[in-house]
Amino acid sequence: MVRYFRKLFALSEQGAKDLVKAIIACTITDISLMVPVGLIFLLLSEFVAPFMGGVQVESNLWFYLGLCVLALAIIGIFHYIQYNATFLASYKESANKRILLAEKLRKIPLSFFGKRDLSDLTTTIMADCAGLETAFSHYIPQLIGSVLSILICSIGLFSMDWRMSIALFWVVPVAFIITAGGKNQQKKVNQIYKQSQIERADVIQECIETVREIKANNQTENYLAKLDKQLANDEKIQMKAELNTAKFVVSAQMVLRIGITTVVLVGSKLLLNQDIDFLTFLVFLIAASRIFDPLSGSLINLAAIFSAMLQIERMKKIEEHSIQTGREKVGYNGYDIIFDNVGFSYNDGEAVLRNVSFVAKQGEITALVGPSGGGKSTAAKLAARFWDINKGSITLGGTDISAVEPEALLSNYSIVFQDVVLFNNTVMENIRLGKRGATDEEVLAAAKNAQCDDFICNMPKGYQTVIGENGSSLSGGERQRISIARALLKNAPVILLDEATASLDVENETLVQAAISELVKNKTVLVIAHRMRTIAGADKIVVLENGKVAEQGTHDFLVDKRGLYNKLWSIQQRASEWSL
Amino acid sequence: MEKGKNKQMKLLDFAGKYKGFTILGCILSGISAILTIIPFICIWQVVREIFRVMPNISEAQNLAFYGWLALLFSVVSILVYFGALMCTHKAAFRVARNMRSRMLHHIVKLPLGYFDAQGSGKLRRIIDESSGQTESFLAHQLPDLTGAYVTPIAMLVLLLAFDWRLGLISILPMGIGFFFMSKMAGPSSKDKMKEYQNSLEDMNNEAVEYVRGIPVVKTFQQSVFSFKTFHDSILRYKKWVVEYTISFRVPMTFFTVSINAIFAFLIPAGILLIASAVNVQAFLLDFIFYILFTPFCTVMLTRILFSSENSMLAKDALNRVESILSEKTLEEPQNPKTPKDASISFEHVSFSYAGAKSKAINDVSFFIPAGATVALVGPSGGGKTTAASLIPRFWDVDSGKISIGGIDVKNISTSVLMDYVSFVFQDTHLFKASLLENIRSSKPNASTEEVMKAAKAAQCEEIFTKMPNGIDTVVGTKGSYLSGGEAQRISLARAILKDAPIVLLDEATAFADPENEHQIQLAFKELTKGKTVLMIAHRLSTIRNADCIMVMKDGEIVEQGLHNELIERADIYAKMWKDYQSSISWKVANSQIAFEKGVAYNG
Repeated sequence: MVRYFRKLFALSEQGAKDLVKAIIACTITDISLMVPVGLIFLLLSEFVAPFMGGVQVESNLWFYLGLCVLALAIIGIFHYIQYNATFLASYKESANKRILLAEKLRKIPLSFFGKRDLSDLTTTIMADCAGLETAFSHYIPQLIGSVLSILICSIGLFSMDWRMSIALFWVVPVAFIITAGGKNQQKKVNQIYKQSQIERADVIQECIETVREIKANNQTENYLAKLDKQLANDEKIQMKAELNTAKFVVSAQMVLRIGITTVVLVGSKLLLNQDIDFLTFLVFLIAASRIFDPLSGSLINLAAIFSAMLQIERMKKIEEHSIQTGREKVGYNGYDIIFDNVGFSYNDGEAVLRNVSFVAKQGEITALVGPSGGGKSTAAKLAARFWDINKGSITLGGTDISAVEPEALLSNYSIVFQDVVLFNNTVMENIRLGKRGATDEEVLAAAKNAQCDDFICNMPKGYQTVIGENGSSLSGGERQRISIARALLKNAPVILLDEATASLDVENETLVQAAISELVKNKTVLVIAHRMRTIAGADKIVVLENGKVAEQGTHDFLVDKRGLYNKLWSIQQRASEWSL
Repeated sequence: MEKGKNKQMKLLDFAGKYKGFTILGCILSGISAILTIIPFICIWQVVREIFRVMPNISEAQNLAFYGWLALLFSVVSILVYFGALMCTHKAAFRVARNMRSRMLHHIVKLPLGYFDAQGSGKLRRIIDESSGQTESFLAHQLPDLTGAYVTPIAMLVLLLAFDWRLGLISILPMGIGFFFMSKMAGPSSKDKMKEYQNSLEDMNNEAVEYVRGIPVVKTFQQSVFSFKTFHDSILRYKKWVVEYTISFRVPMTFFTVSINAIFAFLIPAGILLIASAVNVQAFLLDFIFYILFTPFCTVMLTRILFSSENSMLAKDALNRVESILSEKTLEEPQNPKTPKDASISFEHVSFSYAGAKSKAINDVSFFIPAGATVALVGPSGGGKTTAASLIPRFWDVDSGKISIGGIDVKNISTSVLMDYVSFVFQDTHLFKASLLENIRSSKPNASTEEVMKAAKAAQCEEIFTKMPNGIDTVVGTKGSYLSGGEAQRISLARAILKDAPIVLLDEATAFADPENEHQIQLAFKELTKGKTVLMIAHRLSTIRNADCIMVMKDGEIVEQGLHNELIERADIYAKMWKDYQSSISWKVANSQIAFEKGVAYNG
């Protein structure tokens, strides 16, 4: 049971156990709510007795009062228990779930992140977990609880009279079948709706992020018109989805009410034939007036579960995504990086790298150059196992990196990328990211070397300034310097520089370059630079074109060769002479 | 309470013409509640009829009729309720849509600084989700509340028809239920609700940040710790939501017990009253009626169980929405004027970012004649980008005046101002649209030929050939991510297409790829021909022929003049030029290759 729920609703072990508890609590609460019916039955049988030829019984007030208070106490206690078992447990579960998903995300290959939009992923963690939360706290336990409790009651009623029971209950399976019959159509419409929701979140995010471009292009009106159109469309889809779900549930609810009529019809017939007595008839009439409302609620719950299942499916997709694994403790024999016949393609199948082989030796600088789209950045990222390759092998110090746990592997790398990600935290902590547990002094030293000190000291609270979401208050050059400071702080044996100084101004570029020059001593260095002058002095230059190694060697060798490198070099020489 | 009513009206104002649907929905919901009572009366009639003829059951009449009547009214009441909900949903969705739309229309008029201060995750959440949080209240709770208020009234009416003593005693527990519910909507709950909403918002921001940061954090083996921050925010949210929930636990239990307690009042009352009843049979019938009918009251009251929570949620959401809508927008001029030409002038302009210690721009004055090319250089953080951003009013100056063609930019209507200025940024955001549409965004009525021409001039053709669907490839979809240099070329194509008389270039060639850098430079030549150009550049070689070079440092212009003049002055610019000369010869060096600062490579 626990295992089944766990699988079906993608719950944690604890969550599945809690769900079972919640269901039990709901069932008992529902049953406790039927205790009064029993009391009423008892009382009515005493009241009605004289009319049915029985003896007048004096009902004992204190006996009934006592039972009433007891019944209320039972309802109260079980409701309290149910409240804990559903709400509190569900928040625990959704928190666990969010944590699990977050934990999973950090182990998924980085390729995953390019494919999915930020808002899509965040939706999964936030909204889908919230969906699970409600399904867990309301829909599932309430549905199963009321079905179970009605089942238990029906046993009692069946033992009283099976014909009346059939007259009462035959509509229940029919109503559930109608609701369930809508499942597929509902699923389809809901999927369209969810998609529309995601798109809506996307366009809103885009609007917020591109507001500068929108203004600069004088596109405010057009853009808003487009957004409004999307919102109008979204509204329509939302209404359609609502109507679609309601359609089935409402039909089913109406079918349920036929039960009242059949009870009256069958009951009067049986009563006439004296197959049942009046009291039995009365009990079934009372039952008919009571059970259909909670059952209607169950139908709504059922429909809600169907739509929550979609959210659960999406969570499952993330959970089932393959992760990169490997050994944590690995010995390296030096830090040479060797690409041997490496082939790689992103998921769409188009090869980005084909049979790429080269060696980046420790203590040397290896530069990757070539036209954009040639695979430089991809190659550098593969060297750090951002993705797993399809063909060939990449080794670090003789160890195949695909056998090393990604984060353990990355402990050997200092990486400075073109796109810098910063956190809504203090500058100090943003730099300290480079080396956990680094002292403030170490952070300051790294910041100074990366030429960060000046601009940081200019900030309102210096190193304690919080820099906003993704460092929104910093310029491109400042971001890049913080990223370099991180790398300096980390000081790992392998260094990957991807356009590390592209957005620095002259003065700072010179100084930062000096700092990096310090950093690279005796390390394995892999550099990507568009500006050829920055890599002309490299020990080895690998020219990548269309995913293949076009040529490799030193600057002088390649210039003499008069191939692609020489061509790129001379174009750049010309460009640097240019002026507006 | 009065205040709460106002909020609800405010909420409905967002519905616009659909306001009537909400009202209609509530009325229908009330009607449905009344209709729902009839089947109970029908069942009771069956009981009564049997009572009347007992023990000669065969004389009973109309039993089947009442059975069918019960069904009929059940079905009609369900349909009316369905209609009610459809009406309220229609209005609720419209409210959410209008909220989103109004907020989006509003934020594009705000100064850009607002976006830096807010964080995109938080803004998105308010615009997208807070609006949605009003839905449940408007679509479900509002009509259900009507139903819930109608029920006790209907009961009061029924008092006249049946035994009033039993009626009163049945209403008693409902009153107690309402009492506990009103307790749940108290001020302390409101505070807790706020905390809980805040922590939810916080968690959402952390989620955006966490997901975005994963690639970086992994490279520093700290995913566990960045994870920890997110983890903490998840736990904080859990803490608040649990606390909020627990605060309802006791009143909620009492509420549930009260509304389910009608039997506990009816039974003793029945026992007491039947003893003194004149007509036992009639009393028994009345008693049975209440037995049949009161569970329905419980159902109606349960429907509004979450109304107070949802109404608080809706009010809270409305507050958030209003906080955005009340942000002051950049003022549009009353009597807009049109610039005479494309000259730019700064007169004693000062500007500082909110919360910054020092001024980003401090008393800056300069004049750029129409058609001139002026360069802004200097260390980063010196205020270059800020100065350029003030021209298209991305921010408004604190003091001083910026004019285009002699007219204060504040007196030029936004659309005219934007027609005057093209901007190529350091970092370019592309829209999630086809490349064609991305370029066309700067001139929506441009023909495809015009777009292609601009794209060609900006060296974009090679990008198209790489993309799965060429120029129709939608940016950001499978396999269609553009590199920084490529995005910049698209942005360049936009500017060329726009053909505005003023061009602002902010580090526009920073990410240019080597093999086409030269071509891009040619594209720039095309773009800037005959225009007023303000360009920010780190690579000084690109600006040395400018008509005027202004050196900005710490928000002030410290030097200006022609390249040669500034070199001769042998001050700041001259030093920068010298540094630049040495840096272009920089190479990644290690112990084997000595790093020689200041010695040019290859001349």
